[in-house]
Amino acid sequence: MQTKPLKISRRSFLQGSAVTAGALSMGLLDFQSWAKESAQTPVTRIPTICGGCGNRCAIFAFVKNGRIWKVEGNPEANGNQGVLCPKGHGYIHDLYNPNRIRSPLKRVNGSFQAISWEQAYKEIAQKINLILLDNGPESIFWVNYPQSNQAYALRLMHSMGSPHYFTHGSTCFTARNAAWNFTVGKLPSNDLANSRFIMIVGRNPAGGIDLAQVKDIVKAKEKGAKVVVVDPRHNETAILADEWLPVKPGTDLALLLAMINVMVEEKLYDKAFVANNTVGFAQLEDEIINYPPQWAEKICDIPAETIIRLTREMAHEKPHALIHRGYHGAIGAQYLNSFQTARALAIANALLGNINRKGGIYFPESAELGELQPAHPAPAGPAGPKADGTGIPGRYPLGSYGDGISHAIPELALRGVLKCGFVYHHNPLRTNPNPKRVIAGYKKLDLLVVIDPVLSETASIAHYVLPGTFYLEANEAVDTKHYGKRAQVTIPQKVVEPLFDSRSGFQIIVDLASNLGIGKYFNFTLDQANELRLKPLGVTLKDLKARGILPVGQTWKEGFGKLGTPSGKVELASSALENLGYPAIPRWEAPLVSPDDKDPHSFRLIHGKQAIHTHAMTANQPYLMAISRRYDMIRLLINRKRAEKIGLKDGDVAEIKSLVGEGKIRVKLTEGLHPSCVWLPSGYGIFSKYLTTAYDQGLSYNDFLPTLFDPTVGHAMSSEVIVQVKKA
Amino acid sequence: MARYGMVIDETKCVGCYACRVACQNQNHLRENEAYNYLEEREFGQFPHFNREFLPIQCQHCDNPPCVSVCPTGASHKRKDGVVLVNEKDCIGCKYCIAACPYNVRIIKQEGYIEKCRFCIDFVEEGGKPACVTTCMTGVRMFGDLDDPTSAIAQFIARNGHHLRVLKREMNTKPRILYRKA
Repeated sequence: MQTKPLKISRRSFLQGSAVTAGALSMGLLDFQSWAKESAQTPVTRIPTICGGCGNRCAIFAFVKNGRIWKVEGNPEANGNQGVLCPKGHGYIHDLYNPNRIRSPLKRVNGSFQAISWEQAYKEIAQKINLILLDNGPESIFWVNYPQSNQAYALRLMHSMGSPHYFTHGSTCFTARNAAWNFTVGKLPSNDLANSRFIMIVGRNPAGGIDLAQVKDIVKAKEKGAKVVVVDPRHNETAILADEWLPVKPGTDLALLLAMINVMVEEKLYDKAFVANNTVGFAQLEDEIINYPPQWAEKICDIPAETIIRLTREMAHEKPHALIHRGYHGAIGAQYLNSFQTARALAIANALLGNINRKGGIYFPESAELGELQPAHPAPAGPAGPKADGTGIPGRYPLGSYGDGISHAIPELALRGVLKCGFVYHHNPLRTNPNPKRVIAGYKKLDLLVVIDPVLSETASIAHYVLPGTFYLEANEAVDTKHYGKRAQVTIPQKVVEPLFDSRSGFQIIVDLASNLGIGKYFNFTLDQANELRLKPLGVTLKDLKARGILPVGQTWKEGFGKLGTPSGKVELASSALENLGYPAIPRWEAPLVSPDDKDPHSFRLIHGKQAIHTHAMTANQPYLMAISRRYDMIRLLINRKRAEKIGLKDGDVAEIKSLVGEGKIRVKLTEGLHPSCVWLPSGYGIFSKYLTTAYDQGLSYNDFLPTLFDPTVGHAMSSEVIVQVKKA
Repeated sequence: MARYGMVIDETKCVGCYACRVACQNQNHLRENEAYNYLEEREFGQFPHFNREFLPIQCQHCDNPPCVSVCPTGASHKRKDGVVLVNEKDCIGCKYCIAACPYNVRIIKQEGYIEKCRFCIDFVEEGGKPACVTTCMTGVRMFGDLDDPTSAIAQFIARNGHHLRVLKREMNTKPRILYRKA
């Protein structure tokens, strides 16, 4: 069974798996007889949190005969309102994926050896202690994709004295967050359900799934709202839209500047709101004259009359009109101008007077968990700044210190600044740009410890792999992801017993601390910690475990209060940015690179999500990959006319080449894509041989991306890449 | 007695395939066995472009050709309108697959034929079909066509001129009605 792909000896494999043989035979090998028996079996329903992506939807898990049967959306949850996406249904089967590792693994002479937890912890602690002596605590880092244990991961790093806790943010959303911070003081949300006019720029909630947002868009449409989608690709949300604006990729900024221009020139903005609640309108008025719609049309390929008409329609519905706060596409982390684009997007919303208004952009209620101290004193924390330069003038002053610039980790490792890393619930070898460099960087580490249920690309080069539980197998830290009109708190709960010798993320963090001699900062059980953190919310752990999700705190009220900006108002012109040497008002900034108009083979490579996959995490899931194959979805999208010019027919194999990578993939011809780009679905291109369903299926956009850092925010600029596309 | 039917709103499907996997879980299907599928269509030329996904599954016809060709009576229509296959009586002759104009029947690894069952066991316990409840845009509506107070009956009453059935010319009398795009 497992011995071929896993490079471990038969003997050590058997040792490692012996304890789990019973669970294995029941759970893994006998789906059909289980299914047959299960028709009349009593069913247990347990509320918990989905692990299929970062949204952490509240679900009910149904268990029959000790095996997970199905999941349903929890109707009470803000984030998913009772429904569930294909990943939520499909990913449960990964619990029984034969690719799962069965015990801690240690790399010995290039292959993995099964070892005990005690040995793993002892050896890791010994190596870390030496690294601490030689290089200091700041040479140690932790990186994770968001999950409910992150407060404890941060505490672990701080207990060691390291500032180097990272998220995936710099490849995802840091430009967006920075721009909203500078404009209104924090990242807001969208009151889509009550909006009369919804414009969505570079965001696709129906593909990069956000269930509640899609439900709310449908609700708004049923009440007569207009929906406009701006995206180089006719994305899945565009199917629901009244209009699709196929903007030239990387030029959304021109479109938004022109819309602001129309709002200002035609005095369509909310005058009272601007007068009372914003600063810098005069300066905006002065500078925005440079960006009339006729200018924008030439840059972004959206006709001037369309820009004018839609701006008027949008302003007519103000303040119950909004431009979606955005995510990864256009404003999150994709372009050199993403920060300015996000600023323009925030300013356009403010001109509609929609900030913290019904049907507009609003500040959701979010649960504020309690502290562990004074019962459990917090560590002093790190002395110095992060080595990636986030928040430091002259380096990445607009970068997020909290998230760090995680795609700089390979650079910092190659320079010898970082020596030891923990990777948890994350797979940077596949999800960071320019894999050759990422591999070189992570391989340079003296110690790499990966916590993962499977041997992902990153895990497969680690010195130690610790089998973290699959999300349905463990109780974890309480979570606050379900913000909204009323905050909610949720809890990930154990639904079935762990199949293998795996441990929860929380437990691993606590175990590591105790082995490293910093257990005094973790002298609590999960239940004790959860109880302390719930205390100020006025709910009990017992109630939360029974219901899975509980509302806490007040209900959101519309109205404008003091913001977290320097002026306390919306900063149309930002003096803080000006002081740092950046324009106070967003200015047009061209993308870093552009395809060669005269070369029929030259395209910008852009990417996006299909509803069935999350990053590189779900491609190995047979139920989800079956959809990719059945519907021939592992293809590069290309504009039909452009394809025909270079002799490509639908289904042909094309060769793609960039500065850093090349690959072959079949193409899908479409009229629904801007001619200047090709579009690659994310989630494919798995190159870990241990992931047998996903291995060698399709390509990842990261294969083609050079290593880039936006000069102010530090984000990855992941659509600033030109590729040559030819018939293979 | 109830007479079950479904309305599928063609304007709302965004092609996420949640209905496929929710159905697979509910009905204990393997990854390549699916009771429903989506047909994607593209319209127009750049930049005037649109596309749609059409969800298709057993139409639970009132005049089901799968039932009339079945030599053993395994394929049958119940009084409540649901068309089912009785796996014990199915000999796997595939006549029903040939006769069904909607291409919605699958051959189970065990050798018998299966298809969408409207999750009838679950419905009889008070649930709704898994494809209905999971959908983020509310593509499907399910209920009793004979109960004038049901949401589906009222929707049909209100939207008569927007409704169609698939392959009407086959005279199968499907009990899944589509709200036209």
